[in-house]
Amino acid sequence: MRITSDRRKLGLSEPTLEKLKLLKKKSSATWKIYRSNRMGMIGLVMLLAFVFMSVFAGQIIWVLAHVAGWPSAYGPFDEIAPVGGGLPPTEDHWLGTDIRGNDILARTIYGSRVSLLVGFVATVVSMGVGCAVGLFSGFWGGWRDEALMRITDVFLVIPWLCLMIVLATLMPGGPSVMKVVFVIGITGWSWTARMVRAQVISTKNRTFVERARASGAGDYYIVKKHIFPNVFPLVFANGILTVAMSILSESYLSFIGLGPDPTKIVTWGNMLEDAMTGHAFINGLYLWFLIPGLLIVFIVLAFTMIGYALDDIFNPKLRKR
Amino acid sequence: MIIRKVLYSLITFALVIVINFVLFRLMPGNPVNMVVPSDPRIPSEYKEHLVEEFGLNDPMWLQFLIYVKSMLFLQFGDSFSDPGTPAADIVLSNLKWSLILAGSSSVLMIVIGTTIGIVSAWKRGSLFDSGSLAFTLFFYAMPTFWFSMMLIAVFATDLRWFPDSGALEFGTSLEWTWASFVDLIRHLILPVASLTIGTIAAFALIMRSSLIDVMTEDYITTARAKGLRERDVLRYHAVPNAMLPMVALVALTIAFVVGGVFQTEIVFSYPGVGYLTIKATWELNYPILQAAFYLIAVMVIIANFIADLVLMMLDPRISME
Repeated sequence: MRITSDRRKLGLSEPTLEKLKLLKKKSSATWKIYRSNRMGMIGLVMLLAFVFMSVFAGQIIWVLAHVAGWPSAYGPFDEIAPVGGGLPPTEDHWLGTDIRGNDILARTIYGSRVSLLVGFVATVVSMGVGCAVGLFSGFWGGWRDEALMRITDVFLVIPWLCLMIVLATLMPGGPSVMKVVFVIGITGWSWTARMVRAQVISTKNRTFVERARASGAGDYYIVKKHIFPNVFPLVFANGILTVAMSILSESYLSFIGLGPDPTKIVTWGNMLEDAMTGHAFINGLYLWFLIPGLLIVFIVLAFTMIGYALDDIFNPKLRKR
Repeated sequence: MIIRKVLYSLITFALVIVINFVLFRLMPGNPVNMVVPSDPRIPSEYKEHLVEEFGLNDPMWLQFLIYVKSMLFLQFGDSFSDPGTPAADIVLSNLKWSLILAGSSSVLMIVIGTTIGIVSAWKRGSLFDSGSLAFTLFFYAMPTFWFSMMLIAVFATDLRWFPDSGALEFGTSLEWTWASFVDLIRHLILPVASLTIGTIAAFALIMRSSLIDVMTEDYITTARAKGLRERDVLRYHAVPNAMLPMVALVALTIAFVVGGVFQTEIVFSYPGVGYLTIKATWELNYPILQAAFYLIAVMVIIANFIADLVLMMLDPRISME
């Protein structure tokens, strides 16, 4: 009851309070189920570690500099070794240096920022387009539905990696993070659109929607009150899996040189590109190649595990098993 | 129903042409660059001739009609890097390598993935179940290009068991001899391994959940009640029905496999369409890029259509809808 009185002090009205209480009860119930899912929890812990790493990248390097007794914290773009070839790990550069003469450890830690950012923003773009298309086509039906679905089909059928490469090559302007986000987002929405549409259609014909319509509810009200709450959990679970795919796509685009400029922005993908062009293996610099790749694997794994766990929770049919 | 499928495929095909037109003609930037190499040594009469041939000075609607015609007759212009050779010929001649690579790994990933799925569904909750899930998901989360490079590092550079690049020994071509066949297989093993292992998870997961789903059906209880052994229930009643979602999945993974082929080919310098396409993005060889994109899209549409037909034959419920 203490919480209730706190909220009263904040000046919240009685109905809002009720709603908040209900939300808290509902989300804590979901959390309880989620917590019992071992795979989901491992994924969540991994994800939190990555978020920590990207948010506090500068501080982590600073702490490491103090622990290791470096004269100063290395930045991801500081040239500290001769440019042209990688140098093997030393006491100061734990993972060695790369062809740009930068410290690989620093670049790896900073690289998490763009990878996560691209993953999230591209997902928001593709979820936005997918939800809009799915919602309209499911809600409208008829020829508009047919037209939107045929367009969705094309994006479903064309191998998305292929389309991404062509788009990234043909789009005007130099390589940039924005371009990568756009290219990944615009190619990855078709699955979401399909799923949202199916869910909207199945919800639309349920009796409680008919009842709302009979009592005079408008389209906007029905979408907001009845359809959205039914579609959202699925979109959320799907979105988490899309983040994983987007991070993989970014790494690949950067790897083949269509990503952001490696002298200005560091991602794990363009580090791997550097490692390939710098012949990391022939020069015996295995860590240069191993660490960024492994981090991609683990971040993708984290999102995939969370995604599957959420899928389990939001599909009660699966949970029974 | 079949007529509708044919119609849908044709619409998708038409939309692919429209997307191609938008990408290669309407993108900001001079469309003349798309058909004329930017090499200054090329005589201006030749440039004029090309501009005339592709109708780049004509009004937009006429340009589009000319474009549709050139797509239907596979006229993409000559490759920029080897003048006099039509881009379509180059792409088609590289296609066989991609088909060999994609075909052999598809068969392997379906067989292995399905088997793992069946065993994990059968022994649900066992060590094999959770172990195979962790194992396949780990490789699923791995960027295919990175996994390919790891394989090269271990099995080609270090152990020297397999060659690290190409489809055949340098300077030889495919012949109907035993030696040539062995050479082909030796070059194929690493790319196929990286493609297959990375995609097993998709099939294993779907097969597992589909089989678990089927096991709760009434006819399985009936089969058990008849006194069939568990093994026979599985083999004759559960697995055939659980295979249906797999066929649908095969169609959807085509896009995924093409993405994987693109990634492995570039790392192994395997002379397929993916390698060609990515080289084309580096050299801004637009006719090749366009030909590859278009031909891949067309082939995937055809493959999807065939998969749909197979699914309809196997599951009469679909054509009743």
